[in-house]
Amino acid sequence: MHIRGEGEGEGEGEGEMQTLRQLTPYVKEALQQTLRVTKFFCFLHVTNTYICTFAWGMGPSMLPTINLYGNLLLAERISTRLGKVGPGDVVLVRSPENPRQIVTKRVKGGEGDSVTYLVNPKNSDEEKTVIVPKGHVWIEGDNKYNTKDSRKFGPIPYALLQGRVFCVLWPPEDFKSIGKDIQ
Amino acid sequence: MRAQFFQFTQRWKSTAKEAMDHTILFAKFLCLLHVTNNYLCSPTLVYGPSMLPTLNLTGDVLLVEKMSHLLGMVGPGDVVLVRSPENPRKTITKRIVGMEGDKVTFLVDPNHSDRSHSLVVPKGHVWIQGDNIYASKDSRHLGPIPYGLILGKVFCRVWPPEGFGLLEQ
Repeated sequence: MHIRGEGEGEGEGEGEMQTLRQLTPYVKEALQQTLRVTKFFCFLHVTNTYICTFAWGMGPSMLPTINLYGNLLLAERISTRLGKVGPGDVVLVRSPENPRQIVTKRVKGGEGDSVTYLVNPKNSDEEKTVIVPKGHVWIEGDNKYNTKDSRKFGPIPYALLQGRVFCVLWPPEDFKSIGKDIQ
Repeated sequence: MRAQFFQFTQRWKSTAKEAMDHTILFAKFLCLLHVTNNYLCSPTLVYGPSMLPTLNLTGDVLLVEKMSHLLGMVGPGDVVLVRSPENPRKTITKRIVGMEGDKVTFLVDPNHSDRSHSLVVPKGHVWIQGDNIYASKDSRHLGPIPYGLILGKVFCRVWPPEGFGLLEQ
């Protein structure tokens, strides 16, 4: 039977302590770097949420302003927060049908405005006029023949607006700033 | 003369640097506070008669957790904080009565009549009602609320101290 002597026990303990001491500066360095990365992500996130953000817009509903195959858009978040979004602005909106989806449309009327729209432009010239209720906006896609917007799901609450798109960044041939008119 | 000027600028530089460091530290703290408040949990003061007897008339401080609604884990019976569809700067606190696809039956105007109405909650929306249906402006007036307007789920009250604890179902 091998009885562990005092000297041996201490020797093993010492070895472990030494390994720990050797690792400490690395662990410290790792923690510091992690902290730095976390702080950077916090800052990035706050900029994304409060100042400006990128968005990828695709689909036929905003032709010719936004491509079918996809455009990188730059959207700012300050106008929506200050309540300065009005008719003519292209906005990012959280879809009232699917809360995880963000769509891009143009604001056609704010609260209290009277909006006239074509109910079914493919088949008839029938028009309807509606007054936008308090706290809501009326959004429509630029391509009125192929868009799912307020004509289908009604005026949307202002609080669902996520940002105002002000320029298209990619692809380079589409680079332009988005204004209040359909281009 | 020159030496004095030089000393002055040196001191100014060190003070400016210290002020800058403090500002950056403060900004970092605010960032962290913002992320915690928006994505983990935040305290909110609520008041009004629409959630009696669950919540007080004169004001309660509630802890609202912000993760459940992002994960889709809110359901009927939960008290939630919702951005008002009438006024985007206002937040209202009500209880979820029905999720999308549910059939809800409610008293249209309990103060004046017994008439009740039923409807199915459309896709992407929820139906909210205050616990005090006699004095509550909720989905019976505003219609079904888009799910995207939900800000968080209330899970606990911290003030007043007599009411401390989890809310009743």
